[in-house]
Amino acid sequence: MTYVVIDACIKCKYQDCIEVCPVDCFYEGENMVVINTEECIDCGVCEPECPVEAIKPDTIPDAEKWVALNQKYAKIWPNIAEKGDPPADADDWADTPDKLAQLSENPAQQKNPAQQ
Amino acid sequence: MSVVAAQNETDFPIPAGVFAQTVTSVHHYTDRLFKFRITRPASLRFRSGEFMMIGLPNAEKPVYRAYSVASPSWDDELEFYSIKVPDGPLTEHLQKIKVGDTVLLRKKPTGTLVNDALLPGKRLWMFSTGTGIAPFASLIRDPETYEKFEEVILTFTCREVGELTYGQELVAAIKEDPLVGELAQGLKLYCTTTREDYPFMGRITDLMASGKVFDDLGVAPISPGTDRGMICGSMEMLRDTKTALEGFGLTEGSNSRPDTFVVERAFVD
Repeated sequence: MTYVVIDACIKCKYQDCIEVCPVDCFYEGENMVVINTEECIDCGVCEPECPVEAIKPDTIPDAEKWVALNQKYAKIWPNIAEKGDPPADADDWADTPDKLAQLSENPAQQKNPAQQ
Repeated sequence: MSVVAAQNETDFPIPAGVFAQTVTSVHHYTDRLFKFRITRPASLRFRSGEFMMIGLPNAEKPVYRAYSVASPSWDDELEFYSIKVPDGPLTEHLQKIKVGDTVLLRKKPTGTLVNDALLPGKRLWMFSTGTGIAPFASLIRDPETYEKFEEVILTFTCREVGELTYGQELVAAIKEDPLVGELAQGLKLYCTTTREDYPFMGRITDLMASGKVFDDLGVAPISPGTDRGMICGSMEMLRDTKTALEGFGLTEGSNSRPDTFVVERAFVD
């Protein structure tokens, strides 16, 4: 089992999950973070931290598509181990359902390349 | 024997980015349960109730498992309370550790069973089964817990009587402790068994539903105005206890959004 990030994260990217992950298994895109499902140890600490309930166990009904999405982008986006600032308009998107069309495939801007 | 041990240590170098600590004591309670203590890295800071990832230097890429730190944040050693899983990738080896052996710790403690994740309240309930008592072993030895809550109640349910020993010895020792003993005089330990005969029996969720636990302890039923909860145990116990607390009107919180109860999902039995 693993946990995955679903589309509720898109354009919100609050990053409360980043602070608590014991294995730093989050990867950061321009407007979403994902979990590397091979690194996730299934501890579940991140799940209640997310203000928009974007983190789910892979036992939810349509888990397969979210596992695939998380695996795909975890391979191409940079690792994130420290929380950054959420987008300025994050709160405006918090209640918007079905945000998949808003997903940017771009990796996050590197804040401090030396850390990589 | 010592030559073999030394070879094992050098076969697998300590991976980068982890603490390598030394075992200072091991105590076996039953054929399924043991406690061990290790040296504490000088730079490690953690909050009582958090967990860390533990491994052994026995492979190129060691297997790590989440373990609640059972000692309080002020202690100069780290204590852990573990189950022995037959053929468990980590515990089949971990259960054989001896004083002087090396244990690996990843560097990031974390967790939700912390005082910071609860809103202020009058009475703190800690619900545990099996090795789920470990984070509470940390919290009931931390003076901050008693500064934040007037009353602290730890419930501890196991199948058999012998599995209660760790909790019973721990609470008896705390009451005699020079640092927290005075603060902890009101600490209540409520032990029950589900299989072997014992004066108090049953699952904690059933005992809450019937009201027996409140009668036994002489306290009012749980109410969101006064009571706060922390839960650590098997998956079924987490689910059922969470449902019970929600039934009393409590709401799950987290580090970023403190509320009236918190759950530890990292527990594996």
